[in-house]
Order: sequence, then structure tokens, then C-alpha cells
Amino acid sequence: MQAEGRLVLQSSAPGRIRQDRNAQRAFSVITLLPVLLIVIVAIALVVRAWPITRAASVWDTLLGVVWKPEDGLFGFWPFITGTVWVTVVGVALSVPPCLLIAFYLSEYAHRATRSVAKPVLDLLAAIPPVVYGVWGLLAIVPFVQDLVAPLAKRWFSGISVLHVHQPTGFSILTGGIVLAVMIAPLIISVVYEILAAVPNDLRHASLAVGATRWQTIRNVVLPQVLTGIVAAIVLAASRALGETIAVLMVVGNVAKVPTSIFDAAYPLPALIANNYGDMMSIPLYDAALLGAALVLLFVILIFNVISTLVLQRMLRRKWA
Amino acid sequence: MRKTSLTILSVVIGASLLLSACGSPAAPASSGGDDLQGTITVSGAFALYPMMTVWADEFSKLHPGVQFDVQGGGAGKGMTDTLAGAVDIGMISRKIKPEEEAQGAFWVSVAKDAVFPIVSAGNPVLAELTAEGISQEMFNKIFVTREITTWGQVIGKPEVKDEIHVYTRSDSCGAGEQWALFSGGKVQTDIQGIGVNGEPALVDTVSKDTLGIGYSNLNSVFDSSTNKPVAGIAVPPLDINANGQTDPGEYYQTKPEAVKAIADGTYPSPPARFENLATKGQPNGLSLTFIKWILTDGQKLLDQAGYVPLTAEQQQEALKKLGDG
Repeated sequence: MQAEGRLVLQSSAPGRIRQDRNAQRAFSVITLLPVLLIVIVAIALVVRAWPITRAASVWDTLLGVVWKPEDGLFGFWPFITGTVWVTVVGVALSVPPCLLIAFYLSEYAHRATRSVAKPVLDLLAAIPPVVYGVWGLLAIVPFVQDLVAPLAKRWFSGISVLHVHQPTGFSILTGGIVLAVMIAPLIISVVYEILAAVPNDLRHASLAVGATRWQTIRNVVLPQVLTGIVAAIVLAASRALGETIAVLMVVGNVAKVPTSIFDAAYPLPALIANNYGDMMSIPLYDAALLGAALVLLFVILIFNVISTLVLQRMLRRKWA
Repeated sequence: MRKTSLTILSVVIGASLLLSACGSPAAPASSGGDDLQGTITVSGAFALYPMMTVWADEFSKLHPGVQFDVQGGGAGKGMTDTLAGAVDIGMISRKIKPEEEAQGAFWVSVAKDAVFPIVSAGNPVLAELTAEGISQEMFNKIFVTREITTWGQVIGKPEVKDEIHVYTRSDSCGAGEQWALFSGGKVQTDIQGIGVNGEPALVDTVSKDTLGIGYSNLNSVFDSSTNKPVAGIAVPPLDINANGQTDPGEYYQTKPEAVKAIADGTYPSPPARFENLATKGQPNGLSLTFIKWILTDGQKLLDQAGYVPLTAEQQQEALKKLGDG
């Protein structure tokens, strides 16, 4: 049967063309699935979150600072700002050392060092988030509570974002540190891959005219990879925005707009994870939590759009 | 051609998404009747899950024809599944809300549990706390209004400036609700503290923070093998009559003492609370038989699993609610 079919295929051109067309159709449908899924998820969220607009206007919900579901007050602002604070702190802590590590591994390190360091870094990416959460709870919370916060209180009390308002180590900084370690393998490996793609001829040419390695990196390699680095950072930020369990275990979950990195915060993913299982049977609460999911989706979308715009501009400048 | 297949696909995906959003597809309905054959499906609060597995085990030993499918997922999932007809019985560790009753939820209390205040065993003023206790009004000022911010204020020694570190559960739960009600709030989010995810983490955090205070369920406060508070934790006395000193019956150092106080009502409610089972409308058939058994013979199993049985009157009341006076 099979042999026969193959014979037929070989002899009949229309059959082969039909097969090709069917394959194309199947592939295109499968490719469209993920796109469709995003659209369907967004629509489902809008539909399920809709009842919340009956309780308050969209703007009152987004910019409201009071979260009291039992009184019908569903202000998302503390959660939106909490998400942004934790993500910004995490990315800010992670990017500088990660860039140095990636450049070291790519430009300076001996092959032997690289062959040990790379797999170890990749291993970090394989650790489940909940393990990072436990580590944060056991190590970083006491570290911030007993060491960092008292030091900041003594030396930096003049700077408002470093004010210590609450005495525990459950804070944005703690969440940021945990996030920074979690997204580090991602940033390092993406930047490393980008650096590896820079042609060696460029390096050789630079070194041949007497530049040091550092000068080569600064003047030759870095301009080639800047856009890629931005892309890596945005990728890491998106990951950080959605990270749930590790952050919610250490960030304090207080529904107030934070003003300092030592404040507790309540990111959107934590809001959903903390309450959905217990409250999904209460219609308005359910709508509010799905509204929070929608907002999270939008925040991540906005991040992606901004990053795409930045990338395009940088590329254009390079070619000008 | 391409358009139709796309439409079909999107419909299929959309339908499955909606289905999964509304809970798992309907489980096989329990075949009612007195021959006791069939499956009882249960889902809901993690607080009741261990108890339900014990009940299910014992009940299927008595009636080999009955099978159980017990799942966790949280009180809200239990209620949603029950109202959607996906499960027969929902386990609800908090009060049933009016919105849920409006959707046709029927419920009955089947066991008692209680929330206890906890402090670190290394608390600097533990001796004074033990001698004086903490009154309900003080808990209100510590947990909800935050008027009391130092341990010195709690024991009446303003020279002690140690700050109180208030911890609460970040995940919404029956314990948090009960503690809020006891402390003069209405809902869990009225407790103004650092939110820690999950009961074990909260107990651990308080045990490590000598200035910390929190709350926890009976089972997590007392070690089941030694019957004493778990290592690192102390249970401050509840100064129920607010006379500024610990009287007999206000201080529970062992689990049996605590259980007895919850059972006979010496321990106030809230923070003592009922664990509930919910069904869609009045239960009937196999579910009814099972819930009735829980309220009678099943009560004997509560003790060993670390919960507190209902009093005789509460049992009668529950049975009456089930339509069996």
C-alpha cells in the first residue's frame, strides 16, 4: 500500500502539489494557534472581568488605591506599582553583573573556565521558582532585615526610596534580589550568544592595530551588540513581571502603593495566586481577579511594544 | 476551506478554555439510593482535606461499593465546583458568603477548628505576656488599627521600645478571616501585617523573628507527637475577661487543653470556627448518607486527625438542617 502510494506520488504531479498544499495549510494553522490563543485568552479575560466595570469605572479601578473587595472597592494601583517596583529593582540589580559576566566569559575567559562556568550558569536556570522562594525566605529575608535595612537606616535615611518604614525583611528589595538571581542565567546566556555571533575578524583587526581587549570591547564589540543587550534585558523583564511564587513568598504582600525599596509590595501575579483558589466562587471578586490578570497581560504587552520600538530605533540609527 | 477549519478550531479551543475556566467537566454523578453504590466527588479547602481523606477511607471500608474522589484547590474552587455540579460536596473552611448562598449553596458545619495567636519563643517580654495575657481589645490595636506598635505597650511598660512585627497570611484562608473577626476586623485584609504565604511559612517566620506576632490553626501550633507548641513558638494567653492577668482557662500550653477549651466553648469563637461542607441545594442520596455519617460516627475520627468534634447540640442542629430532626 505504502509502496504503491509512493509510486503514484512519483508519477503524478498534481498529487504531490496537493500534498504540498495540505502540508502548508496544516503548518499555517498550527502556527496560528499560539497567536489565536493570546487573542482568545484576552477575550475570555475581558468577558469574565466585565462585571467589575459595573462596580466602578475602568479608570477608578486601574488608578484606585484601595483594595477592599468586601466593600466593592477594587483598586489595582497598589498592585500595578508593586509589580513595576519589584521588576525594576530585580532587573537593575541583575543587569550590571550579568553583563560583566557575559563579557568576561566571551572575551576574556580561558576555554576551560568557560566550559565549567557555562553549564553551572545554565543549571541556575533549571532550579524551580519555588526553590528560589524558599531560599529567599531562609536567607534573603533575614539578610535584608538584620543587615541591609539597619545599614540603610543609618546611612541613607535622607533618600526617600531607601527609607525604612517597616521593620521586617519582607520587602521589594528582597523580592528584587531573588528575581535578580532568577533572571541572571537568562540575561547571561542571551548576551553571551549575541557576543559569540560577533565576527572574530572584527576583534582581530582591532587587536592588530594595538587596541587592548577592553578597548576592543568598548569600541568594536559593544556597538555591535547594544540592541541585542536591550532585547535581552526586555526578555528578562518580561520574565520578572510574571514571576509569581518566588516573589510572593518574600515580598510581604501588603496592598499599599510602595514608596521605598524597603516597603512591602503586592505584585499582580501574587494577588491572583493568593486569592483565586479561595474566592473564585464570589462573582465580583472573581471578576476583579480576572481583571488583574488582564492588567498583567496589558502591562507585559506594553513592555513588549516599548522594547520593539526601542529596538527598531536603535537599528535605524545604526544604518543611518 | 481554510476559513472553515479555522473557525472550527477556534470554537473548539474557545469551548475548552471556557470549560476549563469553569472547573473540570462534570464528574460521574453519584448514583443515589440506599444500596450504597457509587462515587462521591469532593473538592475544596486544603484545611479540610486531611480530614476528608480519613472520613473517605473509613466510609469506603464500611461500604465497599462507595468510591471517593477527593481534591484540594481551595474553598472557592470547592464552592465553584459544587455550584457547577462538577463535584457532589465542597469543603469550605471559611464562612459561606451571601453571594454563594444566593447561587443555591447549601451548607452544614461538620467540625471545629481554632486559630491561636503565636509569638516567638524568644520574645523578649514572653514572661510578662504569659503572666498578663493579651486582651481582645489589644489584639485589635495590634493587628487592625495598629495603635499599639511596641511590645512595651502590650505589657504596660512604655520603656520597652521593641517594635511589634505583625505577620499575617497572604493567601486568603479561613484562619485569616477568623483572626480578623476576632481582632475587630471584618475580612482577612483588615489585618495590617506583612503577608506570608502559607501556614508553615508563617509559623516559621514568627518562630525566627523574636519581635514577631501572628496566628495559626490548632494543627500547626501544637506538635502532634509532643502535644506542646511547635519548636520556637509560644502561644500567649488570651486575656478573655480583660482583667490584665492570666486566669485559669485562658492559657493553653498543650494540645489536649486547647482541644477541650474549643470543644466546650471556653475558647471564644471567633477565633474558634466551624469547618463546613457545601452542596448544591439540599443534599440527597449518597451525599446525604455520607454527610449524616460524618455528623454521627464520623465525629469520632476528628480527634485523632487533630480537629475538634461538634457538641451534641451542634450535631443535632446540623442534622436538623439536613432535614432529619
